Amino acid sequence: MLSRLPQGALKNAARNVNASRSAVRARFASTTSGSSSAFQTFLNSRAALASATLATVGSVAWYAHLYGSLPFFPEVHANSPAEEGLHPPQYPWSHKGLLDSFDHASIRRGYQVYREVCAACHSLDRIAWRNLVGVSHTADEVKVMAEEVEYEDGPNDQGEMFQRPGKLSDYMPPPYPNEEAARSSNGGALPPDLSLIVKARHGGPDYIFALLTGYTEPPAGFEIRDGMNYNAYFPGNAISMARVLFDGLVEYEDGTSATTSQMAKDVVTFLNWAAEPEHDERKKAGLKAVILFSALTAISLYVKRYKWSYIKSRKIRKCCLVD
Amino acid sequence: MSIANTFYNVFVKRNSVYVTTIFAGAFAFGVGFDLGVTSFWDRWNQGKQWKDIRHKYVEAESD
Amino acid sequence: MAAFQLSKKALSLPPTVRTLASGVPSASLLNLNARAPAHGDHHAHGEVGPRSDTPAAWASKISTTPVGLVSTNYASAKPTGVFQQRLVHTTAVAKDTPQVPDFSGYQAKSESTNRGLAYLMIGSLGVLSASAAKSTVAEFLGTMAASADVLALAKVEVELASIPEGKNVIIKWRGKPVFIRHRTADEIAEAKNTDWKSLRDPESDESRAKRPEWLVMLGVCTHLGCVPIGEAGDFGGWFCPCHGSHYDISGRIRKGPAPLNLEIPSHDFNDAEGKLVIG
Repeated sequence: MLSRLPQGALKNAARNVNASRSAVRARFASTTSGSSSAFQTFLNSRAALASATLATVGSVAWYAHLYGSLPFFPEVHANSPAEEGLHPPQYPWSHKGLLDSFDHASIRRGYQVYREVCAACHSLDRIAWRNLVGVSHTADEVKVMAEEVEYEDGPNDQGEMFQRPGKLSDYMPPPYPNEEAARSSNGGALPPDLSLIVKARHGGPDYIFALLTGYTEPPAGFEIRDGMNYNAYFPGNAISMARVLFDGLVEYEDGTSATTSQMAKDVVTFLNWAAEPEHDERKKAGLKAVILFSALTAISLYVKRYKWSYIKSRKIRKCCLVD
Repeated sequence: MSIANTFYNVFVKRNSVYVTTIFAGAFAFGVGFDLGVTSFWDRWNQGKQWKDIRHKYVEAESD
Repeated sequence: MAAFQLSKKALSLPPTVRTLASGVPSASLLNLNARAPAHGDHHAHGEVGPRSDTPAAWASKISTTPVGLVSTNYASAKPTGVFQQRLVHTTAVAKDTPQVPDFSGYQAKSESTNRGLAYLMIGSLGVLSASAAKSTVAEFLGTMAASADVLALAKVEVELASIPEGKNVIIKWRGKPVFIRHRTADEIAEAKNTDWKSLRDPESDESRAKRPEWLVMLGVCTHLGCVPIGEAGDFGGWFCPCHGSHYDISGRIRKGPAPLNLEIPSHDFNDAEGKLVIG
């Protein structure tokens, strides 16, 4: 909107106030007095328009920043805060910023935690071995890892299925053959697939991290069934999954000390990568797009002004009407 | 002869030259912009990307 | 109502002053060309002489007709403001010279710099747009390429050491059978010595087998897509049971309805691991 103001409009606003008073209009009936107060002319000026817009937008933005929601638009929640679980704190993820890539060393450690801990119950259906290549492992490493797993393939010439070692194109092996097997092994609860879990949970990586590290004794008066565990961050606070991460559970190959929070951070980074494998490229493309389109916008504003300058500065002169 | 006039006479005067310059410029810009953004990205995320840690594991393989 | 119309008509005087489309007040039946009496004091009365604000005869015409005064305007300039017909006027005609807005803010400091800058900016707009358009087109075309999971399946590796000389192996590649033949020296000699120039689909054995001992072919008959049988047929190669096409030991069509030789997929040898990579 401000771009539509002519060059130096704000600068010249004060001058225009005086100019508009002396400008002559063709007046056909004199019912109003020609003089108006300086305040009235200020109200009609562009400076007033610009500053009022700025004040309005600014106060709405300030309110939204302060209270987290727009004014006059109350949000409706189906759940009470207790049902939603405790809101996780915001953690300083290494990939949190607009321009931050994943920490790939952390993804590699996180894969180790997933493989040694989580994979006992949780599948990772949408990630193939080849996805790890060039992200956290070399192709040779992944080939060796894949070959350790037997996959059913076929049918062969005799029409029978057979077992073969895994290839890069195979997907991560699931811990259970089907949902019923998973439920019966876990007291009726289904361990969710982790491929998209970071995207699928409110709070994303913050929530997963808080959940993994948030196991405590239930507070006094909180009834918890057998086989269930208390976790303040889980909606309803009773979760079937027990605490799995304990200090020193895995031994990192790069010598990082495997504390509970370190493992949780690494595995959440890995799961975040699994949910958004395009993450790094996306942020890089976003950076490019913002730069390119800002430049295009700025130049097109210039070109618009350039094209309009002929129209705006056109004078119509009556010069030749003398008899 | 100002810079502006030189620019006009060299690039703009003939439309064929102007359009060719624009398309050649678009090609050069595409390559240069990509390089620039990538080098900034690599500097900003130094030590975090796979290419920064890859050498550790490739060497381990050849041992 | 009729009475009101009547009285309105009686009270509404015909216009004495009209405004031309050009914005000039026109009162043509008045002798506007009359010179003003020479005044001693020229304060704000303008120049003495013929009025300059009356329209030229070729530009407009005033005629008296039974319906009243009719002003005809030949100039086709559009009205520049909202004008209201005044039936009774009590105020003086505004005769001040119209004030032209100050355009100096729009004026370029240096014309040549301005021209150079304008062309530079428009050129930059073209450069950026062309670059963005190129990226867009490239991305859209990229969506038509095979996806990563398909590409991952598109290569098949075969252990060469597991195929003894003189044996056929059939593997699956992209849903089609691929024949791999470890040829003996006799077979190689036979394939090479054939007078291939007179064949239906003339191809030399050298152009078909990258290495003479390994023959890699798509196992799909070029006639109607059956799978030929190995080590059969009149030429010691393959024989299609559907319509009786005979292929020789280089997979070339020798007899039967098939029009072309068996197709060779792109393949490479990985000597370090003793593997054949198809795809």
